[in-house]
Amino acid sequence: MKNLYSFLAVCLLLPMGVVAQKKSAKTEQDYYEIKTLPIPKDIYLEIGGIATMPDGRLAVSTRRGEIWIIENPYQKENHQVHFKRFASGLHEVLGLAYKDGSFYCSQRGELTKITDTDRDGVADLYVPIYQFDLSGNYHEYTYGPVFDKNGDMLVTLNLAWVGFGEGKFAKWRGWLLKIKPDGTMEPHSAGLRSPAGYSINDEGDIFYGENQGDWVGSGRVTHLAKGDFAGNPGGLKWAKEPNSPFKLTLEEIQDNGAPMYEAAAKVKNLKLPAVWFPHAIMGISTADILQDSTKGKFSPFPGQYFVADQGQSKVMRMGLEKVNGVYQGFCINYREGFQSGILRERFGLDGSMFVGMTSRGWGSTGKDNFGLQRLFWNGEMPFEIENIHAKPDGFELSFTQAVDINSVKKAASYALRSYIYKYQHQYGSPIIELKDLKISAMEVSADKRKVRLVIEGLRQFFIHEFKLTGIRNESGDPLLHETAYYTLNQIPAGGRIAVSETNRMQVEKVEKSIQVVASKPSGKSIISDEEAMALLKKHTCLACHAKEARVVGPSYVDIAKRNYTDKQILALVYKPNPQNWPDYATAMAPMSHVPAGDVLKIASWINGLKNKALLNRD
Amino acid sequence: MRKILLLMLLSWTSFAQQTISLSDLQAFAQPSTNWSIEGAVRATYSDTSFQVATGKGVLLNTLRHGKYQRTDDLTFQLNHGDMRLMLDFMLPKGANSGIYLQGRYEVQLYDSWGKTKINFGDCGGIYERWDEGRGKGNQGYEGSAPLQNACKAPGTWQTIEIDFQAPRFDATGKKIQNARFKKVILNGILIHENIEVSGMTRGALFDAEAAFGPIRIQGDHGPVAFRNIRYETFDKPSASLGEVKYTYYSGKFTEPVIGQATPVMNGTIPKLTVKVVPAKNDYLIRYQAELTIPDADTYEFETHWTGGGVLKVDGKELNQGAHWYSDKVTQATYLTAGKHQLELIHIKDFPWGPQALGLLVKRVGSHPVILHDRKSMIDPQAVGIVEVKANAEPVMQRSFAFHLGKKKTHVIHVGDPSGVHYSYDLKQGALLQVWRGPFLNATQMWHERGEPQTSEPLGVTVVMDGRFPLTLDHQAQPDSLNATELVYKGYKLEQGRPVFMYDWTAAKMQLEDRIVPAANNIGLKRIITFKNSSSLQSALDFSIASPKQIAVVNASLVGLKDQSYFIQTTGGGVDFSVGRQAVQGTSLTYQIIW
Repeated sequence: MKNLYSFLAVCLLLPMGVVAQKKSAKTEQDYYEIKTLPIPKDIYLEIGGIATMPDGRLAVSTRRGEIWIIENPYQKENHQVHFKRFASGLHEVLGLAYKDGSFYCSQRGELTKITDTDRDGVADLYVPIYQFDLSGNYHEYTYGPVFDKNGDMLVTLNLAWVGFGEGKFAKWRGWLLKIKPDGTMEPHSAGLRSPAGYSINDEGDIFYGENQGDWVGSGRVTHLAKGDFAGNPGGLKWAKEPNSPFKLTLEEIQDNGAPMYEAAAKVKNLKLPAVWFPHAIMGISTADILQDSTKGKFSPFPGQYFVADQGQSKVMRMGLEKVNGVYQGFCINYREGFQSGILRERFGLDGSMFVGMTSRGWGSTGKDNFGLQRLFWNGEMPFEIENIHAKPDGFELSFTQAVDINSVKKAASYALRSYIYKYQHQYGSPIIELKDLKISAMEVSADKRKVRLVIEGLRQFFIHEFKLTGIRNESGDPLLHETAYYTLNQIPAGGRIAVSETNRMQVEKVEKSIQVVASKPSGKSIISDEEAMALLKKHTCLACHAKEARVVGPSYVDIAKRNYTDKQILALVYKPNPQNWPDYATAMAPMSHVPAGDVLKIASWINGLKNKALLNRD
Repeated sequence: MRKILLLMLLSWTSFAQQTISLSDLQAFAQPSTNWSIEGAVRATYSDTSFQVATGKGVLLNTLRHGKYQRTDDLTFQLNHGDMRLMLDFMLPKGANSGIYLQGRYEVQLYDSWGKTKINFGDCGGIYERWDEGRGKGNQGYEGSAPLQNACKAPGTWQTIEIDFQAPRFDATGKKIQNARFKKVILNGILIHENIEVSGMTRGALFDAEAAFGPIRIQGDHGPVAFRNIRYETFDKPSASLGEVKYTYYSGKFTEPVIGQATPVMNGTIPKLTVKVVPAKNDYLIRYQAELTIPDADTYEFETHWTGGGVLKVDGKELNQGAHWYSDKVTQATYLTAGKHQLELIHIKDFPWGPQALGLLVKRVGSHPVILHDRKSMIDPQAVGIVEVKANAEPVMQRSFAFHLGKKKTHVIHVGDPSGVHYSYDLKQGALLQVWRGPFLNATQMWHERGEPQTSEPLGVTVVMDGRFPLTLDHQAQPDSLNATELVYKGYKLEQGRPVFMYDWTAAKMQLEDRIVPAANNIGLKRIITFKNSSSLQSALDFSIASPKQIAVVNASLVGLKDQSYFIQTTGGGVDFSVGRQAVQGTSLTYQIIW
């Protein structure tokens, strides 16, 4: 017991020391709180689906084929929750809905209606609404259903994986289907690869999240109208079927590594994403999407969207607008630090969000194999970018609080650039056509909540990255999240701002801070652990790597053991070779947007770990 | 990749088997008159004796006069040391027999069908030892109960495979290593692995342990039948390898050809190993050694490497190609007695994948000989199994499942606390397999991503034909029905067990299919009820099996598929010549017994 107490003492003291040093900096958890629902130790709650029930209970479905009903999920007076198994024996249930007293769920091979006819709390009737074809490939995941306002069900069908996504082995793989309660099926849209999350917004439009992969340069959210083709041709075999809403063949799609918008200029049905989620920065495996329909209960951003990421165990925020009838918008981090890989998000009756997680076989930053947590806003207003709107000559940014005028006037407060990804059959893509952007003029609204930026060299279809490092509110606080990514599908028409002496951007001399680092193996780290951690966090490396533990990718200590030179590490960061690490499920994304100076600093730190290991052995 | 290797190592590789002829009794030393060679035996699951048909191929012990006694034990002519033995046996109800390896170490054969609690004296048990000196009540000791009761019904043919390692003795005759049952597999279920026996079973044929001895089958407790007795012994000397010279080349070799390259390193090592390679990739290493062959014979070489390579004996190219280390590459060649030159070239021109090099040689009549150093190969890690239990109430689990080599995607497995379980194809309204014992192994579905997405029985399994059992108007039974001919309508639970519902559109009727444990735990009972069958104008047939798969035991009981299980019909009307039953009334009921 004595040992236990001293262990506890150390655990308690350490974080306090850290907190004491950084007392002033506000973090996500100061505003967006996470509560964990305790799970009985013998239940493998690998969550694939969540459904709220009107009586205050919550149902979750699992990859182990069970449906559990949980009482007291809002943990009102008591933190304990109560589990009862409602159904079992199903095949990897990755979606669940509750309607009119029955559950509807997707198994791999079936959309099933499950009912407790004798109301003893346990299901006793399992009726197929629709049977899906399967080839037997494990990657043929089935997600849903999501009910539309007519009571029809949407279901999405993952492609098989045979070294690349393939839909031809079984019917309608790679498609979103609409299925009526009587089992009538209508193919809706195609080009999906791994459509784990999708939902319908207030206007009745369908959005789905896609993972990086073949034909998908980076994670993204796409609006799917009937007959849309979202980009992955794996399931195009079924576009030949008589009930397909469009005709298209693989041969009509260019595969030259040019950006997707070039291909879309030639292929009418090819739908560009509403928002790109830059890979490894804004997640590595986009999962569920949910529009905040809680009228201000869930977040300070009613009407905006919350996009989960499986691999990085976080929830991101997405704001959409329609320009020329086309959806586009921005994404920004919201809350990280969930316990496992998030697959599912559903709003509870109180406006909090249930987050259902599983990482078995997929890996995630959150260390647990599965979990169920609740995310809610505590009502305190953080200093955040509220919204970004495209303008004919730039953007208008709005903030949740009035900004400090001096900070927004300085050009050094901003770093803007734009880039895009390749559209190709190869897995993923590096960032291409990267260009730094110059702000030529800036105007602040009277309430100091809006900043209008005039930008030189806007490029239609490109991702426009905003890093607002220097912007402060009137109390001098930095933004809770300083980086956002706007996908500029359309540039609106309308009035431009004339650049004048009053609004011209102030440019003061900025010191070049990046040191050029010796590229030979230094053997001695030139930065401290703290500096390294700050860099690793800044460039989101920590989403997949940790110093000593295996996460999504290998630990830095393990990387150090490979005896790469700093330069080799730089080359591998820019162009990873997944075959170097065959035991890891998720391939590393090219991180070529990280400045070479920073990578080399990190590389020297990694190689320093090797020296430490050797020293310790003596 | 690790898992693949694991499967390879665990699987009982087909062995170079020899057969004990059952055309006559020549293979046995002075058999008593109770032993005879017959053509076939049949029995119901409750008969205590066999129906016998004359002919060849079946070895039968049955009482001809007086009563059973020790002299009715059957001793083989063959003396053996290490041995792999595989045979089929049939027990009538209550039977008791046993197989004594070397006449000394007994694996029990016993009618343990349906027992929930088993010990060393049950079927497949390694029978206890006995020492009067331990005092009354304590004489019995050691012995090993099977890991599970894998015994099938009396009257069915059962299989047992025994991998036995004889005790070892030094030059003075002192025992230096105990005998060991490396594996015992009963009806396809592993029931012992590496169980050492400190000495002989009670009732051994000899007073002392020795390197050799004959198989003895216990015949003093009643009727028992055997067939298909196959074995391999491992007494012959095998190949050996002298010290190994290696020459190491650096560079990107895409073929195991040295060409003009100059070596950067060479040396001599006692055993073949890849550990002398200093690089992770981009190299060629050539090993040369003298291979000593004891007798002229065919020798099979097995190689493993990650990358490329070629094995040559006396310059003749044998194993070659690009492989992952877990691939098992084999090539056999005839070699004369004496010295031969062995050369192995290995290359690896890519950075990923574990470095590994393995070389084994196998001759019929001797164990495989590992010619590489242990550390040169990867030691695979096993994955703990994920078991679905059905201990308290009926349990269902859907998954993919292999059936007759094909992956079925809409399968439900149903487990019952009574210990009889089945897999059912929801698309076909058909039984895929039935089994007895623990319920389901879901490891291939729930470990990591579960890429196979399959699950498997954990008990003694009988594979069914996977076809919808009914036909109309005496039509041929199709292999499968499409989703418009037989429409799956879901299942409801009754007492926790599923009732499967179908629209059989061809017959314009609805069906309910119930599969429940049969009375007295003999197997499963299937009841298919027809709703609105009054409108049925056609004749309805239950297709039991093709006539050649049927062994008729009595008017309502048939042994199927080489008498590996029984079907018991009710209501009569069975035509054995076509393997069908004319269905009467509003339901069909039959039992599957194994």
